[in-house]
Amino acid sequence: MYPTVLFGGLFFKGEPDFEDAKLHLFLTFDRSKQTGTPVIPDFFIRKVEYIEPIVSFIEKAVPKKHPFSIDIIEPSIKIETLELLAEKKLLSRTIYNSIHIGITKEEIQVLQDNTPDMAIVVAFNPKDKSPDGKIEVLENGAHLIDTGLLELVRRIGIKKILIDTAALAPGENSGAAIAAIPVMKEEYGLPTGCAIHNVVEKSRWLNDFPFAKKAVDVASNSAIPLFGGNYAIFGPLENAEMVIPLIAWQDILVSEYTENYFGVTPVASHPRRKLLQ
Amino acid sequence: MKQKIKTSVIGSYPIPIDTQQLMHNYFAGQEQSWTTYIEQAVHDMTSAGIDFVSDGQTRDPLVQLFTRKLTGCRVRGRTEIIGRVEYQGPITVPDQIYTKRLLPRHVGLIGILTGPYTLTRSSVDSFYHDEKELAFDFAKALRNEAKLLSKHVDCISIDEPFFSNQLPEYAHELLGVITNDLSRPTRLHVCGDVSVSIPRLVDMPVDILSHEFKAKPYLVDIFKEYSSKRKICAGAVQSDDSRVESIEEIVTHMKKVIDVFGRNLIQFAPDCGQRLLPREIAFRKLKNLVAAGEIINGG
Repeated sequence: MYPTVLFGGLFFKGEPDFEDAKLHLFLTFDRSKQTGTPVIPDFFIRKVEYIEPIVSFIEKAVPKKHPFSIDIIEPSIKIETLELLAEKKLLSRTIYNSIHIGITKEEIQVLQDNTPDMAIVVAFNPKDKSPDGKIEVLENGAHLIDTGLLELVRRIGIKKILIDTAALAPGENSGAAIAAIPVMKEEYGLPTGCAIHNVVEKSRWLNDFPFAKKAVDVASNSAIPLFGGNYAIFGPLENAEMVIPLIAWQDILVSEYTENYFGVTPVASHPRRKLLQ
Repeated sequence: MKQKIKTSVIGSYPIPIDTQQLMHNYFAGQEQSWTTYIEQAVHDMTSAGIDFVSDGQTRDPLVQLFTRKLTGCRVRGRTEIIGRVEYQGPITVPDQIYTKRLLPRHVGLIGILTGPYTLTRSSVDSFYHDEKELAFDFAKALRNEAKLLSKHVDCISIDEPFFSNQLPEYAHELLGVITNDLSRPTRLHVCGDVSVSIPRLVDMPVDILSHEFKAKPYLVDIFKEYSSKRKICAGAVQSDDSRVESIEEIVTHMKKVIDVFGRNLIQFAPDCGQRLLPREIAFRKLKNLVAAGEIINGG
């Protein structure tokens, strides 16, 4: 059994603060090493002018061989970033965040020419927010695009796929993102997770409980390993200090019952092996 | 006074969905709205001058549009039947109410139902293992939708493309479940080659029959024997061919159809839903249909 993988975001607000990022990366990797909970930095790139400096920062600040993800919304920025990552021979460490129904023909072409090792596929179906609707978008694109997202990713040539169950706001079937985890795992056997903390962000009523809101935001991530998920996108990397021990604790809990009940043993790097001597 | 033959649509209209915008809304945590696509479809139909429009059925293909919101159906790759099919609330009604608000007074609205037999034959049945029982449960669910629709639309059209492949022996009874005592006129649309089924189709419990007369002009001749039995909505432009028929060509076709059906011919429409055509072509076909209709009506 492998530990739950965490994705922590950097530069979400836009303009990168490299000194701050360096500090958070250092602390995060230190906690990760201590607990055994792997953390992958997720780099937001909001503007074209940030592409070059952020990719240079990745080259210098992220340990060699360590994976990272690029989190970009605008297709034109995605395309330019892919080309630069290819030029710098970083694609084998790149997790492309993400592929979804908004993909453009140009983006598909550039991905075929500059193929990252792994991609997050967002199972967001605007027509149907249930777990079945999420499967539909992976299977046939819910008739919003020509093919299912999984076939599209395979056609591009991306070998490793992470399914994102697309967390939505409260009132929009937010629980389906969690319910979909075991459904997707059963259906595809692919690593599955989501950014469940986004649901906390969108829970406006929690603004009346500012102290609790932070705790709820961090705690929300524990639902993912509890439902059999493989990764959690937990928000800003600065939260890593709280999320890492939480997930390590949760992984130990899950590991103990899965070993006792199913006979599944944890790998050597698992928090249960690292922290319970 | 000569009765005016109205122009109509069958159902779907090709509006491209902006998936990038949908994803922007998703990432921004904003609610998704479909009204812009309904507005575009309705705008095209009314601009072309169509008398009876639909909401464009832009949300989904004809099967998923209904099965997605019925209990007992699971939509993944195809619709799977995993429990008893039951109505759980309005399906197309909110879109019809929205569409009605967009329409000028003189334009009518057609509410579209995908027929129970087509829903049955398009689904993978893992629950009933009895086609007839499933079809009747679909029909009962659609009856609820039809009753609600009746309050908001001017006509209800039942789209049954699968009747052209096979007309089940219980077809009459099945449609009756939906249409009995409805307060609005009903139309049965069956595209494809219905030549062998015509004697039974003309006895179906609906007010209007709608068929693909432009792509299959031989149907007009086969219908001759039964031309007095039913009101007719005649296909006058093809939906499976991107060639835009000239006004003259459509007028010639319309005259041939009128010769056979006379006063029973009450609507001209495209042969089928226009979903598979490029939007610009679909619009030009509707415009020419309306222009031809005006010539026929002596305008």
